[in-house]
Amino acid sequence: MMTAVRVAQVLLTAFFFGLTFEGIGRKVTARIQKRYGPPWYQNFIDVLKTLTKHGWTHGWIFDFGVLMALGGVIATLSFVPLGKLVAFPGLDNFFVIVYLFTVGALGMAMGMVGTGNPWASIGVARALTLMLGYEVPYLIVITSLLYFYKTSNISTIITAQGDGWNLFKFPIGALVAFISLQGMLGKEPFEAPIAPAEIASGPMVELSAKYMGLLMLMNTFMEFVEISLFVDFFLGGGTYFVFLLKYLIVWILAVMISAVLPRFRIEQAVAFYWTVPILLAFLQAFIVVLNQH
Amino acid sequence: MSKIDERSVWEKIADQLRSRSMWMLHYCTGCGAVELPPSMTSRFDMERLGMGPMATPRQADIFLITGYLSAKTLRRVIYTYEKMADPKYVIGFGSCTINGGIYYDSYSTINRLDYYIPVDLYIAGCMPRPEAILNAFNQLMEMIRKGEANGWKRYKENYEWYKQNQLRSLGEVIVHDEFHE
Amino acid sequence: MMQNLIIYLAVGSLVGYLLSKLNKHIGPIVLFALSIYSMFVLWNFPTDTMEGLFGFEDVLRFSAMSKYFSILSLIVFASFAFFNISWISKAKNPHAFNALSIITLLGTLGVFFSSNLIALYIFWEIAVLGSLFIVPMGKEESKKATIWYIVISSIGTYMFLYGVFMLYSRYGTFDIFEIAQNLPNESIGFKWAVLVLLLGAGIAKSGVFPLHTWLRNVHGNAPDTFSAVLSGQLVKMGSYILALVLTVFPVSVMFSEFYNGVNILSYVLIWLGNISILIGTLMAIKQNDMKMLIAYSTVANGGYILIGLATLDKVGYAGGLFHIINHALAATMIFLSFAAVVYRTGTTKIDELGGLIHRMPITFVTYLVGIISLAGIPPTSGFISKWMVFQSLVSRGMFVTEMFVFVGSIGSFLYVFRPLAGVFLGQLKSKHKDVKEAPIFMTIPMIILVGLTVLWGIFPQQVLIWITDIQKEFGMEPFEFEGTKLMTSMGYWDTWTVFVMFAVGFIIAAIIYILMPKGKKIPLEDQYTSGEFLHNYDLYHYASKFYAFFEREYEGHPSFEELYLSFVNVLKAIGKGIDYLARRTASAYLFWAAIVLALILWVRW
Repeated sequence: MMTAVRVAQVLLTAFFFGLTFEGIGRKVTARIQKRYGPPWYQNFIDVLKTLTKHGWTHGWIFDFGVLMALGGVIATLSFVPLGKLVAFPGLDNFFVIVYLFTVGALGMAMGMVGTGNPWASIGVARALTLMLGYEVPYLIVITSLLYFYKTSNISTIITAQGDGWNLFKFPIGALVAFISLQGMLGKEPFEAPIAPAEIASGPMVELSAKYMGLLMLMNTFMEFVEISLFVDFFLGGGTYFVFLLKYLIVWILAVMISAVLPRFRIEQAVAFYWTVPILLAFLQAFIVVLNQH
Repeated sequence: MSKIDERSVWEKIADQLRSRSMWMLHYCTGCGAVELPPSMTSRFDMERLGMGPMATPRQADIFLITGYLSAKTLRRVIYTYEKMADPKYVIGFGSCTINGGIYYDSYSTINRLDYYIPVDLYIAGCMPRPEAILNAFNQLMEMIRKGEANGWKRYKENYEWYKQNQLRSLGEVIVHDEFHE
Repeated sequence: MMQNLIIYLAVGSLVGYLLSKLNKHIGPIVLFALSIYSMFVLWNFPTDTMEGLFGFEDVLRFSAMSKYFSILSLIVFASFAFFNISWISKAKNPHAFNALSIITLLGTLGVFFSSNLIALYIFWEIAVLGSLFIVPMGKEESKKATIWYIVISSIGTYMFLYGVFMLYSRYGTFDIFEIAQNLPNESIGFKWAVLVLLLGAGIAKSGVFPLHTWLRNVHGNAPDTFSAVLSGQLVKMGSYILALVLTVFPVSVMFSEFYNGVNILSYVLIWLGNISILIGTLMAIKQNDMKMLIAYSTVANGGYILIGLATLDKVGYAGGLFHIINHALAATMIFLSFAAVVYRTGTTKIDELGGLIHRMPITFVTYLVGIISLAGIPPTSGFISKWMVFQSLVSRGMFVTEMFVFVGSIGSFLYVFRPLAGVFLGQLKSKHKDVKEAPIFMTIPMIILVGLTVLWGIFPQQVLIWITDIQKEFGMEPFEFEGTKLMTSMGYWDTWTVFVMFAVGFIIAAIIYILMPKGKKIPLEDQYTSGEFLHNYDLYHYASKFYAFFEREYEGHPSFEELYLSFVNVLKAIGKGIDYLARRTASAYLFWAAIVLALILWVRW
């Protein structure tokens, strides 16, 4: 029973604060571009508006893919610890979260390509290639952290940061994780998979009405999971509002970087990830292994 | 007309939401397209109103016809309009959409957009300045909240009339396969 | 009892051949009946019994490892047989096909049962010969592919035989366990030589670098359903040798430790696994033929299995063993779904197909669950084995191996997505508009395999019991699990909770979905085309050169296939040279006869 309450808490936090922070992000982008920008509640209105339209469906695989996408991300979200708020204490194993995440991604990819539009296939091919780029340095850095603390349980790592954030103990790792985070969020300069004008929004080309709304929710939840993992691993989690404050700071940093940079081509992005971040990640791993001996 | 104007409670709430978050299709015909970047950028910021460009017609709410329409473009405009999801709103910019403008006697442009697709709002001018455009967007938002922006319902009710007009002017809307005939 | 099984299979092969002359479809029924009977008998058979074979004593031994491998082979063969009841109508030589597949089953079960190295070799050869004659019954290119198969298989087998005879000359016995007790006392050179030779067979058969080049041609060109057996079961014979040799011979005692508790032989094997994963993944991304793509994925997964087995700790070894059964099921599902597609459409090239989900939904679901398991996504069983291997590598701090394993894992999303988007999703080609779903005999085994994968993903207890029995038998600490909770020193998780949360998430999404206005169904041709009017939707499909932008990054890569073919060219050139010297004319004969005579006279005096 308590578990259900905690799960509801996690999901509602992600819903309200995820959309609010996205709206704040849009305001920050607007201010950087010397304009006013939409109100902070704009994303709520966007999602609710899309849910009220009358759209089209392209078959059962499209419906199922969208449901699997949102369902998978909700399932992942329920396992992620938001600082001290953990819905399933003890079961927040890092690899489980990373792989549950891929359920959502696969559902989205399958549903989008199932519309029959080749723009979606191109967008998904780019997204998967980019995933091959950013996941490898990220996983190497995180596994060096797991090796250092001898556990794959995220809550244990949060409590172990009581004497200093991992940001200061492993600064190179934090930098690499942040660069990977920028790719995971799909923000400039790694925005090739969506690329609105280039490939007609890539995977989202045939989405209308409630499917678009469900996918926007899925995007918000995915961002929430990714940034929460970064805050948990490197900024020490924290109580509820402290966690949200740290989340906001990381998010605004990502938004500010994306507001001023253009977009890499997909092969440039992957080539970049396979040179600088991987070398830094191995450097970090090497330092961790040396420390152990 | 009264049946079209009826709205249930959910529709009224939904219209409040739709008026505050309108996505325009990133497709502008004719010479009016040059007036849109100023409306979107810092000086006349359109995003304050919740409006932003969208790449595909499936997600867009507003279709801006920004200038003259040749028969060739009109075919694509009708095709794209039918791909948009309900409810959708059309705004005609400039005098070419109202009465043909300076091309009123051309053999390949149309004179009045309203015969082919339902238009919710016209903006006069050749070309209207960004101030006029933002004024028009505000008026469209008011119309949506009051339930007066019913172009999409009119299109469904009077579909045969619109189709007749389209076919009379264009011959065919969807171009046949010229390479394999 | 095991001897009886072997006799039944031998007789069954002949009976099947004769019965299939009456009616093609009876042959696979015989194989199906035999495999179900064997599975039934072996399921409850007590492990650790020794038996004799044809008068030779104590040659067969039913260990926990035999049970595990036999049951997984029989699952693959049973699905293969049931599927064939329909598919055999399109086979080229149905009678021989059926008889030889039963002989292959006989050989593999014999390999798993033998505790005597020579018996193992004999059954190994039976299995190889059985499959050898089935491979050329596929496409035109399969005849050349058979040569790859026999050459590389022979390299492995003769290395094995040489190792066996080295041991025999030293100890005078062929029994594995007796040798294992004496081996740690030998010199280090002898140990290295023997183990490398014995492992060579396993490496050749499971398609690990450097003997991986045959998989693409053989699995890609073999008859469609037999590719499922080749990729799902015969490579597991190689994994059996690897698993057996690494545990029976106490490798961790025999070699010195190299890195964090991993001994040097294991480290070399782990590196071979790493390179296999890299090669398999990168090559699979490039392929246009769907069967060759999954054949390369077998190379990558063979690398995974080798890494898991070579870590030799309670989590990693269990992970390697679990991955064997996961890959067997997934590869079988995928190849059977491809067989169904080829049965209906006649082509295996991805860019000639498209949109088949609208005509063959059950085949699509089989392929989907197969790739979900192969990519290691919960809640299928594929994720459990990957989790175990990751945990074991992280706890040892083997970062470079981890990089390769992650590249393999994420790269697998790329290459399995390619047939999904190119063959099943996308636009339906106009010539395939009348394609029907696969016949009922084909859909039933596919559905059963899907159910099995998902069942073992949520409730892996049965498989884990088999695996921990194997670990206990070899004196290794068994993997710890409690109901659906899997535990290691670094953390634990619960499969049932993950599945429940997944269902809850799905229900929440479904509630929002149902409350909102329904979408109207539109046909496949109603697409966003940037305002253009299309008439031939066959071409509005993104399937060829799917990852062209990524493939450009590694375009000029070295190719082992070409390296081996260049050896062939060297041999051909030497042959041509000798041919030049040995021309068949009278003067040439006279010349050589004179030289040989002169040599003999010179040697005599």
